[in-house]
Amino acid sequence: MGLEMVNVHKTYVTRGLRKDILRGASAFFARGERVGILGRNGSGKSTLVRLLGGIEAPTKGLIKRNMTISWPIGMAAGFQHTLSGADNARFIARIYGRPIQETVDFVEDFAELGEYMRMPMMTYSSGMRSRLALAVSLAIDFDCYLVDEALAVGDTRFGRAFAERIERSGLILVSHSPALVRKLCTRAAVLDQGQITFYDDIDEALATYHAL
Amino acid sequence: MSLQGEAALILRGARMQSRVIGALIIREMHSRFGRHYMGYVWLYFEPLLLGICIGLIHAWRDRPAAFGAFEFHAVGYILFFVFRGILNRATMAINMNKPLLYHRSVTLPDVFYARHIIEFLSCTGVMLAMLFGLFAANGSLPESPLKMALAMIMMALFSQGLAFLASAVTAAVEGSERVVHAVTYLLLPVSGLFFLVEWLPDWLAQMALWVPTVHLFELLRDGQFGSRFRAEYDLGYIWGWIMITHLIGLAALRITRARIGLE
Repeated sequence: MGLEMVNVHKTYVTRGLRKDILRGASAFFARGERVGILGRNGSGKSTLVRLLGGIEAPTKGLIKRNMTISWPIGMAAGFQHTLSGADNARFIARIYGRPIQETVDFVEDFAELGEYMRMPMMTYSSGMRSRLALAVSLAIDFDCYLVDEALAVGDTRFGRAFAERIERSGLILVSHSPALVRKLCTRAAVLDQGQITFYDDIDEALATYHAL
Repeated sequence: MSLQGEAALILRGARMQSRVIGALIIREMHSRFGRHYMGYVWLYFEPLLLGICIGLIHAWRDRPAAFGAFEFHAVGYILFFVFRGILNRATMAINMNKPLLYHRSVTLPDVFYARHIIEFLSCTGVMLAMLFGLFAANGSLPESPLKMALAMIMMALFSQGLAFLASAVTAAVEGSERVVHAVTYLLLPVSGLFFLVEWLPDWLAQMALWVPTVHLFELLRDGQFGSRFRAEYDLGYIWGWIMITHLIGLAALRITRARIGLE
């Protein structure tokens, strides 16, 4: 059980310009494991996240998904900003086949949005957006959470609740923030030159990342 | 995989897809009209009002027509509205729904199916209201409601195929959405809304029958007036158009899906 990438390539062609973002990346993420993948800006982090999340198909290679994995949770992608947080929660509960009222109640309780829950998302601050996105995804109960970029959780009541909740599920965190990886993950890898390299312990991965 | 396993897999997929389309319909209604009931009323009244206006203009202009000119144009316009409503909205469909594609169970065609179901159901409701109104006003009943319903369904399917194509083109070529809007207006005179093939001279009738929507209007009026004129349509010809537009349109959407960036 888990998610496996086998020799994955991803190439984009824009205006005749060929860009090889991933060049034979392989990895295995077991169910329940919390893995951090560190990458510099432009190393292909968002591409990797989209492939892991099944939003885009690899140009070459294979991705085997044997557990439920969330959509990429970062800056509230996957939400409709003209609708309220509650409406978005309902929509997502519907497409993932979850009980609707239960989902909304959970989100209401977890995201601490108060009356903003019934306001259009475009009125939210970025912190509120990210709390909503995390709360909705936690309500769906995936085997593994796919998290993109730095999380605006911090050492708040919400941040601690999130860190505690994520201990019970799997996590793939693709980030440029070593501190966040150290806080949330049990294993780490570095994305560089279109390939993913795993290290025996987190310190080694962080040292490699700093040396890049 | 065993046949049974495969059937279970297809069933699961179908259930997921209908869940997604259902959710998209509700979301589309909310984002189009907000949570105000007036919005839903407008969905209904827009085609009805336009249909009545077009009907009245023609009733006043061609009073001596053999059919009730109002009935002819008002009912016909509702069928045209199926086409117009689906095609005009297609150009914005991808951009407006891009964020939803982050959920991998949501596919591009699902987004279109949801909108087209809304469009079709509201036009069908308007059609029923119009027919009921006509019955109440002068006691006229359509000869074959079944043929009228078939015309509505086939118009929706044909428009759906075109919508796939139009949205793929607008995603690839910037500014082309204006052309789509212009084309739906330019097609108005040749669509078959304003004439019966029977009224045309032979050479023009031959040309008119190349236009797929002309067949659909003939089918609609065959259901509406039946024995009062000689309808000319070929259902196979329309099914052919539906099939070809779906085939090319869905392929184009697939290419579009791979090309559009989700940032």
